[in-house]
This record gives sequence, structure tokens and C-alpha cells, in this order.
Amino acid sequence: MSFEDWYRQDRLPHIYCAGCGNGTIINCTLAAVDSMGWKKEETVFVSGIGCSSRAPGYILTDSLHTTHGRALAFATGVKMAKPDLHVVVFTGDGDLAAIGGNHFIHACRRNIDMTVVCMNNQIYGMTGGQGSPTTPLKCLSSTTPYGCAEPPFDLCELATAAGANYVARWTSYHVKELEKAVKAGLETPGFSFIEALVQCPTAFGRRNKFRQVMDHVEFLKTHSLLRAKRDRLLEQGQPLPEDMFVVGELTKRNRPAMGVKR
Amino acid sequence: MKLAIDETRCKGCNLCTKVCPYKIFREGKKLNRKGVAVPELDRPERCTNCRLRNLYGRQLCGVCQLTCPDQAIHWIEEEPYEPHKVAIEY
Ligand SMILES: Cc1ncc(C[n+]2csc(CCOP(=O)(O)OP(=O)(O)O)c2C)c(N)n1
Ligand code: SF4
Ligand code: SF4
Ligand code: SF4
Ligand SMILES: [Mg+2]
Repeated sequence: MSFEDWYRQDRLPHIYCAGCGNGTIINCTLAAVDSMGWKKEETVFVSGIGCSSRAPGYILTDSLHTTHGRALAFATGVKMAKPDLHVVVFTGDGDLAAIGGNHFIHACRRNIDMTVVCMNNQIYGMTGGQGSPTTPLKCLSSTTPYGCAEPPFDLCELATAAGANYVARWTSYHVKELEKAVKAGLETPGFSFIEALVQCPTAFGRRNKFRQVMDHVEFLKTHSLLRAKRDRLLEQGQPLPEDMFVVGELTKRNRPAMGVKR
Repeated sequence: MKLAIDETRCKGCNLCTKVCPYKIFREGKKLNRKGVAVPELDRPERCTNCRLRNLYGRQLCGVCQLTCPDQAIHWIEEEPYEPHKVAIEY
């Protein structure tokens, strides 16, 4: 078996723009799910609304494409009703951190046994490029035409502070690492959160000097600071580079969890 | 194993041209029926997965396939090589 067997081949090609990173993240997530040896009847994919949230519609298993921001609320319901099901959530930065922010912190606090993959393109892709809670400072969007003036959320720190058992961040460039991180998340009982930074050439790249798709992917690659390297810099008392973000496994612990398969 | 791009799916983003360690994918120049310049394959028999998948019995490398956002890259089984008798016609 390979990840291709989890796709609804009759629905492909999907509607994402050329070069959109969402497809890559779905590949990596499905590869991880495939390597778990789970049955399709025992696995459910849940999402909210957004480009990223269209993902479950392309997957063969049962799925829920719910309302904007409520993916985690619906997923919690699935898990509470049927703890034996494996629940995987696809969400976007707007879906998870803006309208769904409260569901996010409480799902982390409850530490419900599910794996959440957030495709963070740092913008509202589907509705035409409005700024989201993760739009970086100075970046242009249709609602921040002079550059974003608000500091963004660090979703991974948020998940860690709120109580998630597993937290990791990678990008659409790091496909193998991302696959491994999702697998580790699927294996961890409790709430697992994997943030995947992705390129959105249509709404974000076009406005922010990433003319070619690869320019943005290259940026993601060169601005990733490995967690081990960050720890070393901190140990040596050196300053962290300001324009970089940390990638790697950021939290792994064993807090009491809800909805774990008995 | 033979590497192939599904022309009905590829959207010509050229991400594959950047991630393959052997640089097997090259930016396409000709537009196809859908108006997409599908990348060309440069000596695809060099691909790790093409060469060694059957020997190891599992997927090798596969970075291009995981990266391709449009699920357009795949491998096709090939008939094992058979030597042919050369018929000489006078
Ligand atoms: C209750 C509600 N409010 C607003 C919207 C409009 N809306 C649809 S998608 C979206 C933002 C999606 O952004 P994100 O979750 O980051 O997904 P992306 O498209 O970037 O993948 C918004 C505001 C909606 N569908 N429902
Ligand atoms: S708008 Fe952005 S996120 Fe949405 S499909 Fe296009 S590239 Fe992807
Ligand atoms: S990555 Fe996929 S969609 Fe993009 S050019 Fe290569 S084969 Fe086509
Ligand atoms: S599997 Fe690896 S070596 Fe083979 S074409 Fe893809 S990226 Fe290149
Ligand atoms: Mg978004």
C-alpha cells in the first residue's frame, strides 16, 4: 500500500491552484496514516472551511467537512461518541486560530486523542487573501495593505502552553520529516498538533515577493531553524536569528488524555 | 520500474524540478492540451526508486512523489529486460 491508495482517484485533480502546498501536506499525512496500517473504515478525517479544509473530500475514508472554525468541535464529538475511531483533522490557520481559536485551546487542554494537521499559509487563501492571526509582521494581504502591524501567533507554543501531548512544526519543503512527525503524532495518545508551513502562491506569494512558487519554498527551507540548533544557541547564550522559525519536534509528553482507544 | 508524470494531473508548478537530487525533472517548454508545460524527464532510469525498488521490495527516495502537490508522479511496472535474437536479413 502507499499513500496513493487513500485518495479518491475519481476526484483528482483537486481544485488547488498550481503550486499550492496543500497537496504536498495531504500526501505526507496520508503516507503517515498508511504506515500505521489502519483500516479505512476505522479512520475519519475532519475539517472546517478553507482551501486546506477541502482535503478530506479527496480521501476515501468517511469524512466530515464542517463549518468554519468548528473542525475540532466536530472531531471532539466523533471521538467522544466512538473512541475506537482514529480521528485526523485538517485545518487552516484562519480556521484553527482565528474563528476556531477557542476550540483549539480547549481541545489541547482536554488533550483529546486526535491528530491535527494545520496547513499554515499565513493568510485566508479561500476568501481572497485577508490577513490571518499568523500573518507575519510587515507582510501584505488584502486587509493589511501597508504591511501587517500585529504580531502573529506561534501556533506551536500555543498548543504546548494549552496542554497538547505532541507538537511539531515542519514545512512543505521537509516532506520526509513531516511524514515522520505526523506518524509520531498519530502514535501519541492525546492531542497531537503538527503545523505545516505552506506556500499559497495565489493569495500570499503574489503579494509578498514570491513570484515563483519555488521562491517561497526556498524561503521556507532557508528560514527553518532546527530545534537542536536552537537549543544549542540558547545553551551558548547566543541570540536567536529573528527572521527564522523553529522546526522539529517541539513537545512530546504524557499528560492524561481523553478519548483514547481502550 | 519506470518514472512517469500524469499529464492529466500535472499543473506545471515545477516543484519536482527543484527537489530531485538527480535533477531528473527539467522545466517543460511545450504547452500540452490543457495549457500546462509538463516537466520533461532527463534520463529517468537514474532514479533511485526506478533502479532499486524491486531489489529492496519497498519505496525508495520518493521525495518528488511526496512533494508533487497534484499527485501526478508515479511509477509503472516494466517488463524485465529480454534479450532479442538479432535476425539478419540479406
Ligand atoms: C462562519 C464563517 N465565517 C466566515 C467564513 C468565510 N471564510 C471562508 S474560508 C475563510 C478563511 C479560511 O482561511 P484558512 O482557514 O487559513 O484556510 P486557507 O483557505 O488559507 O487554507 C473564511 C473567513 C465562513 N465560511 N464561515
Ligand atoms: S488560494 Fe492559496 S491556499 Fe487556496 S488553493 Fe490557491 S494557492 Fe492554495
Ligand atoms: S511537482 Fe507535480 S504538478 Fe508540479 S510540475 Fe512536477 S509533476 Fe507537475
Ligand atoms: S524518487 Fe527521488 S531520485 Fe527518483 S525521481 Fe523522485 S526525487 Fe528523483
Ligand atoms: Mg490559511
